Amino acid sequence: MPVYRKPESIINTAGYCGGCGHGVIQRLIAESIEELGLQDHVIGCVDIACSFWSQDAMNFEFIAGPHGRCASVATGIKKVRPDATVYVHAGDGCSYVIGLAETMYAAIRDVPITMIVVNNGIFGMTGGQLNLATTLVGDKTLSSKAGRKVETMGHPVDMLKNIANCDVAFAARGALYDARHIDETKRFIKKGFENQMEKKGFSIIEVLSPCPTNWKLSPVEAMAKIKNENEKVFPVGVYVDRGGKD
Amino acid sequence: MSAEYVLMKGNEAIAEAALRAGCRFYAGYPITPQSEILEYMSVNMEKRGGVFIQGENEIASMSMLFGAAACGARCMSSSSGPGFDLKQEEISYLSAAGIPAVIVNAMRYGLGDGEITAGQDSYWVSTRGGGHGDKRILVLAPASVQECADLTYEAFDLAEKYRNVVEILSDGAICQMIEKCYLPEPHEHDMDKFDWTLTGKPRDARKNKAYNLSYYMGYEAYDKYMREKIEAMFENEQRWESFMVEDAELVLVAYGISSRVCRSAVRQARKEGMKLGLIRPITVWPYPRKAFKDVPESVKGYVTVEMSITSQMGEDILLATEFKKPLYGCLTSKELPTVEGIIDRCRDILAGKIKPMEVL
Repeated sequence: MPVYRKPESIINTAGYCGGCGHGVIQRLIAESIEELGLQDHVIGCVDIACSFWSQDAMNFEFIAGPHGRCASVATGIKKVRPDATVYVHAGDGCSYVIGLAETMYAAIRDVPITMIVVNNGIFGMTGGQLNLATTLVGDKTLSSKAGRKVETMGHPVDMLKNIANCDVAFAARGALYDARHIDETKRFIKKGFENQMEKKGFSIIEVLSPCPTNWKLSPVEAMAKIKNENEKVFPVGVYVDRGGKD
Repeated sequence: MSAEYVLMKGNEAIAEAALRAGCRFYAGYPITPQSEILEYMSVNMEKRGGVFIQGENEIASMSMLFGAAACGARCMSSSSGPGFDLKQEEISYLSAAGIPAVIVNAMRYGLGDGEITAGQDSYWVSTRGGGHGDKRILVLAPASVQECADLTYEAFDLAEKYRNVVEILSDGAICQMIEKCYLPEPHEHDMDKFDWTLTGKPRDARKNKAYNLSYYMGYEAYDKYMREKIEAMFENEQRWESFMVEDAELVLVAYGISSRVCRSAVRQARKEGMKLGLIRPITVWPYPRKAFKDVPESVKGYVTVEMSITSQMGEDILLATEFKKPLYGCLTSKELPTVEGIIDRCRDILAGKIKPMEVL
């Protein structure tokens, strides 16, 4: 009989809302790190947004803030502690909006860290405002109550295409709406950590993740929205794999 | 201290002294008049086994520093004017997490872009700034290339002693002038010697978190810790140099480049029969209030000599003197003060032609 085992690196509950994808992603990170035997030398970097809760839940050392600067903070850590496994767990507001320069230059510098970006198309921690990079056209948020308008707010952007323009080790997008996609996301995240072990360069894994609270949907409806709407704009799959398949 | 002197720019002395203090991480963005610090680090940091990063902007540079400093490395960044403004966010975060770092601010004159020439109008952003929230930054103001080296070297010890940000407040004149300088002995820093740093500890070890100390200590304990730390810095770290204040009729107060001109002015004025003295703050936070206790009761007033439009340091002088004596200004804006200008101003003050400053 298969045993459903909790990763030992998760030592506490987190403050995520019901149906949130952050907890699933946190678990995939913990599983990947443990399966690779890395859990004794990890430094995590979280944003001062929803991913912040991860630092209370995980048995790793963490640094939090300033908002949006996670890729830079992780760069500083990796440069002075090159043997530690350094990862970022941050949202799309942090990584693609206020911290776009920091994310892009971590990619341009090809810093050998593993960056996990949660694409939930909204500013979760602040209560559900528009995300310029990832809110879909027409989606209603607290700061786009009539729905996102292209004329004033532009289109959402597939940032992995921008990152693929840089010489990075790995860039991929996964999703969480069914078991197959969660499995695939796990493979991407694990690949990101393997690359870091092998000192291969910058790995970024974006995950299409639900935010039922701020989308004002049930958890099941939120998963359906990702499958039917978000994935159409943000296709899952591998964008860059410089090292090729092992 | 090495037996032989070298000729160096102030900026180079700061960079070399930092390396000799064991600084092994520098990240910054070019801006005049301090770009030589970045350039010096780009040439010399990797030779000492350290990390040099030219950041994509000031904020990213400071964020990289935030990560490296949280790991226990001795870290430095540097900037000026509008570039220094951008560093405020991370100074606040460093302060919140009790992470030591040394930041250089080579003052250039003016608001906005201002000028690339020397100024002293970043006094407030240095002594009152550091972003949002309640904390103090230790601010050391060198007045010579030798002090650039000595104060930078010591700044790292002070930063670690108090787990606080220390700022080197130079200006476009001090950082660009070339003088002889005796460099301090090289020191190797052990980045694993602290109990609060991120090292990536094994599963059974107690983990450190680099975030608001208040989150882990609780607000009551944190408030007490911060209050006691700030009081200790205020009590222990006031530094100044007094020059001929014992019998002075008027005491000049100046730091950095202005203080050098003031010293000449004191000597020249005394030859002309006018008894001037000088208090030169070396720390501008904590402000050396103790220095003012040595001034005789007979002093007729104080003259703040600053390169600014309105006095920025004046408030601190009034606090130090408890508003008991009049405060006059000798404010030269973007021009360096001159010996003649200072003496003429003081002559007019003593003749009653100049009113004390009311608006600061």
